Amino acid sequence: MSIKAENLTHIYNKGLAYETKAVDDVSFTAEDGEFIGIIGHTGSGKSTLIQHLNGILKPESGRIFIDDIEITSKNVKMTQIRKRVGLVFQYPEYQLFEETVLRDISFGPKNLGLSDDEVVERAMEAMRLVGLDFETYAERSPFELSGGQKRRAAIAGVIAMRPDVLILDEPTAGLDPKAHEDILNMIRSVKERAGGIVVLVSHNMGDIAEMTDRVLVMDGGKLVRDGAPAEIFADEEFLKGIGLGVPPAARMANVLAAGGLASDRSVLTLGDLTDFLANRLGGAGGGADDETPEVSR
Amino acid sequence: MIRDITIGQYYPEYSKIHKLDPRLKIVVTLVYIVSLFLVKDFIGYAIVFASIGLVVAMSKVPIRFILRGLKPIFLIIAFTFTLNMLMTKGTILWSWGFVRITEEGLYNAVFMALRLIFLIIGSSLLTLTTKPIKLTDGIESLLKPFKKMGLPVHELAMMMTIALRFIPTLLEETDKIMKAQQARGADFETGGLIKRAKAMIPLLIPLFVGAFRIAQDLAMAMEARCYHGGEGRTKLNALKFRGRDAAAIIFVVIYLSAVVAERIFV
Repeated sequence: MSIKAENLTHIYNKGLAYETKAVDDVSFTAEDGEFIGIIGHTGSGKSTLIQHLNGILKPESGRIFIDDIEITSKNVKMTQIRKRVGLVFQYPEYQLFEETVLRDISFGPKNLGLSDDEVVERAMEAMRLVGLDFETYAERSPFELSGGQKRRAAIAGVIAMRPDVLILDEPTAGLDPKAHEDILNMIRSVKERAGGIVVLVSHNMGDIAEMTDRVLVMDGGKLVRDGAPAEIFADEEFLKGIGLGVPPAARMANVLAAGGLASDRSVLTLGDLTDFLANRLGGAGGGADDETPEVSR
Repeated sequence: MIRDITIGQYYPEYSKIHKLDPRLKIVVTLVYIVSLFLVKDFIGYAIVFASIGLVVAMSKVPIRFILRGLKPIFLIIAFTFTLNMLMTKGTILWSWGFVRITEEGLYNAVFMALRLIFLIIGSSLLTLTTKPIKLTDGIESLLKPFKKMGLPVHELAMMMTIALRFIPTLLEETDKIMKAQQARGADFETGGLIKRAKAMIPLLIPLFVGAFRIAQDLAMAMEARCYHGGEGRTKLNALKFRGRDAAAIIFVVIYLSAVVAERIFV
């Protein structure tokens, strides 16, 4: 499983006075097992970029390959792409429409032309993965769930299609801290169990630092940086210049460094920060290791 | 695909035409439409063409954009053209079986097609150069005399403003939901009528739910800002008659006299 994007360009309102280049000559490749974060200020072209990855939008120029299939070519079947690439839009709960949660989650697998047994089995699995109890919620109307539960049901609708690539566009936007943490944990467990590639678009630098192992930075439709989180977040000036920032833990470390308490290695996550402080304070240290401490944000 | 609809669209630009008083523009458009029916020959159309051409040029709206508005009514124009051409009696130019094309028919066909085209260009110019909000402001102001007859003018105008305001929002919402369902394998584009109608359910239900949500939020936001109907309500940008509006009136009077004179004397 791999994604390869070559010189992607997308133009909105082509030929009109308000024509805009939303994606401008973007190239990257992603290999199996990668967890990729995409950051960029509002309107930097993140959402437009990811909509190309499952064929919802066609590029003005450039090509995309999912494995060996060129999904930008005209004669490729859309179901072939959607089976491989699952895309969870912003506020996915607004796409719920069925009478019961189970039937809504089954919508995707059914469109893939699977047998009824297979559909229900996949829906059950998806509900387990997102942490919605089957007995309790399967027959409830999706419209009477809470905000966080609705979001999880909607994400389950995409996961049930068992995509090799799962793309999530700001999956935690507008959720309370508990629901936020639940969604992140859910994404982690989906990644652990299903493998493949996960792409997370987020404005929360802390989440990106905690979750991903590679970060793409978008600005003005261009891919301006591509690297490991430690590398990307090392340049706070640059990120601030394009309307972004660094994770809270990194900010804290920078403030400490300005006060004369510098760390010898980069601090990105709360785990890093606790390790560093524990070492500096002469404590046992490493108690948390890479474990994320249970801190609400 | 859904963004291609241009009827009633506004084209943002800073031109003298854009800045005219919307009340004036509405009245002028009506006068223009009436004037089209006064024209009886091609010399008259030359006057119309020169005038509307000048206004289009002044409005800075690209010709391409205006012609795109003609696309949806192309069928109607083609239909009237063919009917006029075939159904008018007179000197036969060409015949094949029972199909006869007469000189008068051809003349009529071109004449009527031109009238339709000028009609569409003129009225689309109104919406292209006037923001919906200003348009409804203008309509409200023009309808004021009917208030005494019990017509809820302000409420009608407010409803129209809100409806116009939410067309792009709902289109955007439709686009978003469509994409989201397509990502789940929904297929809106193939299959017979019944299959396609059924495919609309996953689109329509979230759209309706969304529309109610938006309506509720809007009502709340309006009440939070003390909206209580039109009684005693003043405007931030009150419509004002300016010098350029007077210039426009002079232009229209000259245009109308030219059209009328042409009809009477030529």
